[in-house]
Amino acid sequence: MKLFFNLFKNKSEFSRKSKSAPDFEKMSAESRRRFLALMGATTALTATACKDYRDKGEIISYNRKPQDVTYGKANYYASTYRDGSPILIKTREGSPIGITGNDIHPTSKGKVSIQAEASILDLYDPERLKFPLKNGNKTEWKTANQEIVKRLDEISAKGKEIAIITGKINSPTYAKLLNDFAGKYKNTGIYPIELFSDRNKRLAWNACYESNEYPAIDWSKANVIVAVEADLFASDGVPPEQINEITKRRSGEKAENFNRIYAIEAGMSLFGANADYHIRVRPGVYYSLLLAIYNDLVVKLAPFGHSTIGDYSIEKVVAENKLNQKKINALLNDLLNNQGKSIVYVGDNLPVQLHIIANFINDILSAYELYDYNSSYVEFFKILETSEIENLIGRMKQGEIGAVIFADINPAYILPPDFDLQGALKNIELKIALTERENETSKLSDFVLPINHPFESWGDYQTRKNIVNLQQPVIEPIFDTRQKEAILLSWIYGNNAEYSFDLYHKYLKNKYLEVAKQLNAVDFDSFWYSALHDGFIQLKGNEKNITKPKLIILRQTKKPIEDSGISIVLKKSPLIGDGRYSSNGWLQEIPHPVSKIVWDNYAAISPITAKRYGLDYKDFKSSVIKISIGSKEITMPILLQPGVAEDTIIIELGYGRKEAGTIGTGVGFDAIPLMDKTLSVVLSGAKIEKTGKKYKLFATQEFHKLEDEYLKDLHRKRQLIQDGTVAMYLSNPNFIQKQRIMTEEEIDKHSVNPPHNYPEAKWAMAIDLSRCVGCSNCVAACNVENNIPIVGKEECGNGREMHWMRIDRYYSGTSEEPIVSYLPVLCQHCDMAPCENVCPVVATTHSTDGLNQMTYNRCVGTRYCANNCPYKVRRFNFYDFRHRFADGYYEQDILELLHNPEVTVRSRGVMEKCTFCVQRIAEARQGAKSKGKEFTGAEVRTACQEACPANAIVFGNVNDPNSEISRLIKHNLGYKLIEILGIKPNVTYLAKLRNTNSEDLT
Amino acid sequence: MKKEFLDYVLKVRLPVTLFVIFGAFAVTYYVARPERDGIGYEPEQPIAFSHRLHAGNMQIDCQYCHTSVEKSRHASIPAANICMNCHSVARKDKPEIVKLTKYYEQNKPIPWKRIHKVPHYAYFSHQSHVMQGIPCQSCHGAVENMDVVMQVNSFTMGSCIECHRNPNSRLPKDFPKMKSGPVHCNACHR
Repeated sequence: MKLFFNLFKNKSEFSRKSKSAPDFEKMSAESRRRFLALMGATTALTATACKDYRDKGEIISYNRKPQDVTYGKANYYASTYRDGSPILIKTREGSPIGITGNDIHPTSKGKVSIQAEASILDLYDPERLKFPLKNGNKTEWKTANQEIVKRLDEISAKGKEIAIITGKINSPTYAKLLNDFAGKYKNTGIYPIELFSDRNKRLAWNACYESNEYPAIDWSKANVIVAVEADLFASDGVPPEQINEITKRRSGEKAENFNRIYAIEAGMSLFGANADYHIRVRPGVYYSLLLAIYNDLVVKLAPFGHSTIGDYSIEKVVAENKLNQKKINALLNDLLNNQGKSIVYVGDNLPVQLHIIANFINDILSAYELYDYNSSYVEFFKILETSEIENLIGRMKQGEIGAVIFADINPAYILPPDFDLQGALKNIELKIALTERENETSKLSDFVLPINHPFESWGDYQTRKNIVNLQQPVIEPIFDTRQKEAILLSWIYGNNAEYSFDLYHKYLKNKYLEVAKQLNAVDFDSFWYSALHDGFIQLKGNEKNITKPKLIILRQTKKPIEDSGISIVLKKSPLIGDGRYSSNGWLQEIPHPVSKIVWDNYAAISPITAKRYGLDYKDFKSSVIKISIGSKEITMPILLQPGVAEDTIIIELGYGRKEAGTIGTGVGFDAIPLMDKTLSVVLSGAKIEKTGKKYKLFATQEFHKLEDEYLKDLHRKRQLIQDGTVAMYLSNPNFIQKQRIMTEEEIDKHSVNPPHNYPEAKWAMAIDLSRCVGCSNCVAACNVENNIPIVGKEECGNGREMHWMRIDRYYSGTSEEPIVSYLPVLCQHCDMAPCENVCPVVATTHSTDGLNQMTYNRCVGTRYCANNCPYKVRRFNFYDFRHRFADGYYEQDILELLHNPEVTVRSRGVMEKCTFCVQRIAEARQGAKSKGKEFTGAEVRTACQEACPANAIVFGNVNDPNSEISRLIKHNLGYKLIEILGIKPNVTYLAKLRNTNSEDLT
Repeated sequence: MKKEFLDYVLKVRLPVTLFVIFGAFAVTYYVARPERDGIGYEPEQPIAFSHRLHAGNMQIDCQYCHTSVEKSRHASIPAANICMNCHSVARKDKPEIVKLTKYYEQNKPIPWKRIHKVPHYAYFSHQSHVMQGIPCQSCHGAVENMDVVMQVNSFTMGSCIECHRNPNSRLPKDFPKMKSGPVHCNACHR
């Protein structure tokens, strides 16, 4: 008995301090305010309810309805996102609600980046700046502009410099505008700064070919792709285009056409995870390995104009660094046998020397046959070299610069503290930040002027020689903001011109008058409107230009990276970039494509090295380490990442922002302080030290010990992932079907349920795992389409993330040489769905067209269905997450505009899951029926399907014999997930093929 | 039976039981009145627009004003500029038209009172129904005879389903035999 009472004594549930009256002093202001607000709302509701319960409110129609608006129908406008992605913006009754790709665009082919996909959230971000600030106080545009122009005039008269610091300039009109600015204020300097850019690649190209414009690569023609520390699927080059073109050659449908991917890298990038051969190399070895490959090719092919450099040889490099001889041999063989069809690509941010070697290797391989000179990458202003940045900051310190204008850039965060920008800014009289939201730089500025979101702006983007993408606004500025070009333009005009929303538009149109003339357009207006409609203008590209690089350039290269101590590779985050997207909750919550970590970054380290230092990551608790290089040091949690080279740490940048609003501030750890003034992303000679502290690092998926005999390859044993090699498939096309445990007839025979009838349509999906690279664009698109809430880091840790679609990642092999598989999982819409049988209130049922329907207004939240679902695709609203996350941050009024009006916004206590985009099916059906056509379902595309850069997802009507899906469900690579349960899922996975040399997968 | 017990039953149990029975009946009756579903709701509109005059006497097609009924799930309440197509010339001096002109010129939307409403989680499509030839009147009643529009049918799930199961019960007598409508959840709820 005593024991029984003791039990209660220690349990917190009953013994919480409730002896006396509540201590109001200790209650937070929020909770009191919320209580009062709730009280008020309740009273108001009761009062209105009693007043006239029949009142249904008002219907507010337009006063003058714009002609192209139809209530309830979406309009699409072609535009461009700030990263240059050509997009279509979907608007409903004038508010943007979604992004899709521009299908007719020649280079993007309708594929957009994950950042553009999620960008709609930034438009409605309640923390965007709403009015101009002077020294932190609200001011008017007019007074701010007058004062700025006056002071710029004074500074210019004194002969001091006006520095415009900006990001990479992709816009020809913005470039012209900056030149005009320099025309008015004679001593203006224009300084484009980027942390991650193609600067090194361009420098190397210039050194070898004396041209600043390096050609695009036609990836779909390449048989062999070798990437050196380059994440072509997530952060180097233009990822959506590269995924699209590379995966064209990676499908079981045309297996004889398969390309082969080699990833030579220190870590495990998304590209490495999808590579046929992942060769892990410490970054200090890149130089000698690349030269050894070069020498080997020179010896074997004896090409004209090349000769061996130094005494680098494959045998030596492999022996000294214990590389995998088998994989290196395969690489060399493939390069030799695929001249003109193979290419070596070095990561954009790696040192110039490595790019030069790659250019020479590509020259031997005749890779110019893959080059698309017509579509070369252009640049309008050279991005500053690091010595130039240092010089600029030096002159700031000496007081030579009078005013600094930060045009939508955040150097206070992206420049390492070594530069001491903060100290230099103290000597500047006038600091102006043009920015969408407060950041580290705006906090140091006198004037903070709010600028428009890309969806509210005019503009043009030209990253390629032969194409200009146009940007047009689809909504009036929501807050009192102006676009940065218009602000600069109004300063150029001084007080002579009144600001209008059209100011930059006119300037832009003026610029294109010449272009229209060059293109022999009949009249400008029709040229301009058709260009705006299409979203781009096609221009003349570069001529083919094949010159031989001079060998002396290669001879002069020196080893850029030392191989000492612990090496560190700093990478751009595939989700939040260099930190510029960190206030986007959707991007923060999408699990990292490789590690599946949410809301954090980490130091990725190989399990063996971690063991040596006594570090571990278990049950989401990660050891915190101190990383130091010389006097610089940071602390950071670790992550055990299979495939990382020994004594190497991979860190993604963009995290640890100090001023990024409610969402981005303090998420993750800032590793930029480790960088020095060379801005090199590869560092060596670091030391790590165990601190003994633990940090909670949450992942949406863990993995078993790869060496455990019983757990090893569980996903293959349970047939979640079925894979094989291309050679295996070509010699035995039915090898997947032979592995099946039960045939369809046997499953039917064992079923106790009567089969359903599907008289009209029956919806199904097929996902080609050979094409899927795990980039998570589909997850972002699904979030936007289906009003998915953001739950936050802690709730993700509780397993309560709400994404309807997830990408599972599985490792097999060893922790040194892992083999990675991706598996997108969504509701499988089973014919014999186990969830349907157990719902006590019949909230989840089967539709006549094969959908597993979820009726929110009927759901009472028993969660029986989720317990009975073998795929864990059902998501439960444990809270009203919009209300709960960050104190209702995403519940604010303005975010109502974000919601897709065709999808119910779910609340607390309701189960939800993928619907196969039933709203799109319904719209297509209504459209077909109203035109009197038979509805076949050929026009229905789900959000994930539209967003998939690899075209891995196919959706359609099985009952339509002409549909692609009716062919794919019978494909001989097709399998269903956990088929043996007899629940007859409707998502067919096409088994993953790997293009390795031998038939063994290890 | 003891007297006290009988007394207790008559004094306490019987009245309580009766109260509960009648109370429940009264509440159910009150809640289940057709009026609770909005039938008979006839609010005063900001402008006394008469459907009898426009749709009835003058025979203007419903779709002249409710433009998107064939194109989208919303029938759409006309924007003020549609009224002004005629009334920038016709009957300019009448008091109600003066009101309308004022709204139009001040660029303010007219705050029409809402009469028919399905809950926000039900996605009713005018397009699907109208394009099948179902007359507007089968749900909205004879609007062309109303000076002030009133709700005549209930807009509950029950009435939707009833018609979807047996469409001709609600349609005019001479209407051709119709296929029954979908009754799975996703037909309306998503």
